[in-house]
Amino acid sequence: MLTILVLLTVSPLFIGIINRVKSVCAGRQGPGLLQPYFDYLRLFRKSQVVSPATSFIFQLAPTISWTTVFFAGLLIPFGPRPAVISFPGDFILLAYVLAFGRFFALLSAMDTGSSFEGMGASREVTFATLVEPAFFILFSTITFLSGFRSLSDVFAALHQNDSWTLIVISLSVLILFLMMLVEGSRLPIDDPNTHLELTMIHEVMVLDNSGPDLGLILYGTAMKLAAIGLLIANLLVPPGFDMPFLMVLFLGILFVLAVAIGILESSMARLRMVHVPQFVLVMTSIGLLILSFVFFSIGGHR
Amino acid sequence: MNNFLLGILCISLGGLSSLLSPPRQKGKIVSFFTGIGMLFILLTTVPVLLVGGTLTGSFYFKPPIGAVTLILDPLAAFFVALTAVMSFWGIVYASGYLRHYHEREIYPLGSHYFLMCLLIVAMLLVPVVQNALAFLVIWEIMSLASFFLVLFEHDKSEVMEASLNYLVAMHVGVAFLLLGFISLAVKSQSFDFASFPIIIRGRDSFSGGWILASLLVGFGLKAGFVPLHTWLPKAHPAAPSPISALMSGVMIKTGIYGILRTLTFIDHPTLTLGYTILGLSLVSGLMGIIYAVAQNDLKRLLAYSSIENIGIIGIGIGLGVLGQAYHIPAVAAFGFAGALLHVLNHSIFKGLLFYGAGLVYQKTHTRDMEMLGGLIKKMPATAFCFLVASLAICGLPLFNGFISEFLIYSGFLNGLNWKLPFFSVACVLSTAALALIGAVALLCFTKVYSIVFLGSPRSELAKTPSGVEPKSMTIPMMILTGACLGLGIFPQELILLVGQPLRSLNVPDGPSLLGGNIFVTLNQISSGLLLFIAVTGIIYFLRRQLLKNRTVPAFRTWDCGYPVPTPRMQYSAASYSASFLSLAEFLIQRQTQKDPPEGLFPQKAQYRSHSKDIFEAYVLHPLLVAFKKFMDLFAGIQSGSIQQYILYGLVFLTGILLWIATVK
Repeated sequence: MLTILVLLTVSPLFIGIINRVKSVCAGRQGPGLLQPYFDYLRLFRKSQVVSPATSFIFQLAPTISWTTVFFAGLLIPFGPRPAVISFPGDFILLAYVLAFGRFFALLSAMDTGSSFEGMGASREVTFATLVEPAFFILFSTITFLSGFRSLSDVFAALHQNDSWTLIVISLSVLILFLMMLVEGSRLPIDDPNTHLELTMIHEVMVLDNSGPDLGLILYGTAMKLAAIGLLIANLLVPPGFDMPFLMVLFLGILFVLAVAIGILESSMARLRMVHVPQFVLVMTSIGLLILSFVFFSIGGHR
Repeated sequence: MNNFLLGILCISLGGLSSLLSPPRQKGKIVSFFTGIGMLFILLTTVPVLLVGGTLTGSFYFKPPIGAVTLILDPLAAFFVALTAVMSFWGIVYASGYLRHYHEREIYPLGSHYFLMCLLIVAMLLVPVVQNALAFLVIWEIMSLASFFLVLFEHDKSEVMEASLNYLVAMHVGVAFLLLGFISLAVKSQSFDFASFPIIIRGRDSFSGGWILASLLVGFGLKAGFVPLHTWLPKAHPAAPSPISALMSGVMIKTGIYGILRTLTFIDHPTLTLGYTILGLSLVSGLMGIIYAVAQNDLKRLLAYSSIENIGIIGIGIGLGVLGQAYHIPAVAAFGFAGALLHVLNHSIFKGLLFYGAGLVYQKTHTRDMEMLGGLIKKMPATAFCFLVASLAICGLPLFNGFISEFLIYSGFLNGLNWKLPFFSVACVLSTAALALIGAVALLCFTKVYSIVFLGSPRSELAKTPSGVEPKSMTIPMMILTGACLGLGIFPQELILLVGQPLRSLNVPDGPSLLGGNIFVTLNQISSGLLLFIAVTGIIYFLRRQLLKNRTVPAFRTWDCGYPVPTPRMQYSAASYSASFLSLAEFLIQRQTQKDPPEGLFPQKAQYRSHSKDIFEAYVLHPLLVAFKKFMDLFAGIQSGSIQQYILYGLVFLTGILLWIATVK
């Protein structure tokens, strides 16, 4: 339950911190930390424009994308506190629910009949396809280490392992961090600030959305970023901490991640589109690295 | 058992009456008879499926067939019930689809319905006939009936070509089955399936392995495993849509049934067998869906996606066999249960997709997706059903496809608990491959849906779909759509269907394994999904309330300031998949033909691309060429004169006589 509360309240701030770090790095004063909250509120107060080429899918998709991220929040534990819905293999549902949201986001982009949005959809779906195996290799390997259980138990059991835990956890965090960049459409995959349709991915998919729908989409993207951030926090924080300190730790990790993304975005340019698949496949390679590492170390123990 | 036979009789009667009745009534009469038949059959099969037990009935024929025992065990009951239900809705759909052909005399409707009933009867009998010779006869009837059904639009040359290809492929399969069954029968001195297990159980593993391999090749060809799949993408576009739905939804599953039945002949499966099935299925799944992405013909794409789903079913079977080989009953139960459920689920959503494709084809007269677009406004019912089926086939939650894939994933993750080094690596990599298959399926079906149904019409054909969607076609679609949703939201009930069949597959405590933790898990999933629906509803309602008192202006899609946008500027099917396919270039081998625009005021330009099936080009084709070369050696004895052939026959007969005389 805590996860979803944190996602709902803190995720716009997460974006705010990223933007602030970027402006500081660029020597600007930049918008306030709370600016995203005002942005979303403004969008919710507006009306919207709907293209006559579209169908009900265009109207429904933003709601569904937001709800899928909300639902993902119900599946993610908060340290020792289990998730609202938890069962062995819940990470499968987590991945598939996010895919459900993506399905509708893609259809909504194609629904407008715009070639820009088609281009964005085509890119988004290609890169997302390449992320999926990495996610499953990572979580299957973690399941191997800690047994076939729910996410909450998996994270707890992971810390009870001995020497190799540290390496596994740090590599897993690396994968999830890269996944955050891809799924949250951040640099170097996608530039959230670009103004040229041809170079955009996620932004161009929502060119025709406006008003409350755009608000839901932006809010959902922020929540997705923060949700992956919470997964990372779950990996990093060992069991044994309790409230208020647990909350401080989790929020602290989110803060560090936001600063890291901000610095990363200030210090590097967007990759050329043809190089993005290579970047994404790095995640799978790291996953395979963890896998082989785990099996070699198990082999040594037996 | 009597009810089962009554059901068969009803359907046969329906087939016969269609030959005699007036063209406009044929569909109704056949639907009526098939419906009654379905009820009788369900009356027999449902108790067996839910409670277990075996029904038998014996019949005596003249030699060489001899006594044929019909045995309805839970495994057979599963396939029979599935066939009965899907066939009935198939017939109802066909009665609407074929209405278009009433006026055209060259298409023989009566015999078409008759053959459909014959195919259904054969498919119903395949699982219950457990005598090799009778099985082969029924199997052959099934192949021939479906061959003639594919040949319906016989005046088109591509249909003729595809159906001949299909006929040959099926007979290659039958040859392998003959080889396998006859070697088994020779060793066991009996054609009864019941006597086979002792043979393969025997320690002479080498010949046992070959027999097994030839049976699996024979059945695998029917099911459409890569590299035996090449007939599928040809036959499906050629056949009328109700037939494609019947073939893809039900008929290729008899191949899966055959594989499962073959597995029961083995006392204890080996690791080699398990890993072989798993490996081939992973290849089928991945190749099937990657090729599907490359297609622009709607029905050809669906055919490739069938190959992918057969791959997923095979992954479940491979996992089940591995579970048995490693003596982990839980993994075996998950694997087989996932495979069986995916058989059920695939026949529902693939049937639905073919029905939708058929309706689209009938309204627009094209299967080329690049010509379509914006159909969601003209054909809302079809568009809705197709959307649900697309979501289901991607294995997304809320729909039935997720449940079977979840069971298979659970099987792999459960296998990790045993910490067997090699098996664990296989499990991790298989989950990743399954995830990749799912992700590419999402790419494939977002492409299909958005190109066919969304955006603006890409040609005149899509602009003027004529007439309304007939009820006889939309009702079966709605029923199947309901099934996709119902089975996806309440999967606890679904799992009851596969408990007993697991017993026939040598997983004796299957029902209790599925009744335990997994039942609790599915309950959790179910309540989670209900919550998901509720939250979506609430958010959508709030959004509606927000917008209620505001004007929502309509303005054309953002065109970047270009003054005369046309629908042809929309993203096409080829361009949507291009960025993914460029990564899989080595598998697809696209051949492109360009005629680029030239000069300051370019007039004409064109671009064509065509994807090659590498298995067909590099595996099958060289084999066929080599075979033809070998056969050319015998060309000398083919003179064409009848007398000479009679002479050959005489020489052959004399030889046989001499051989018998010397041996006896």
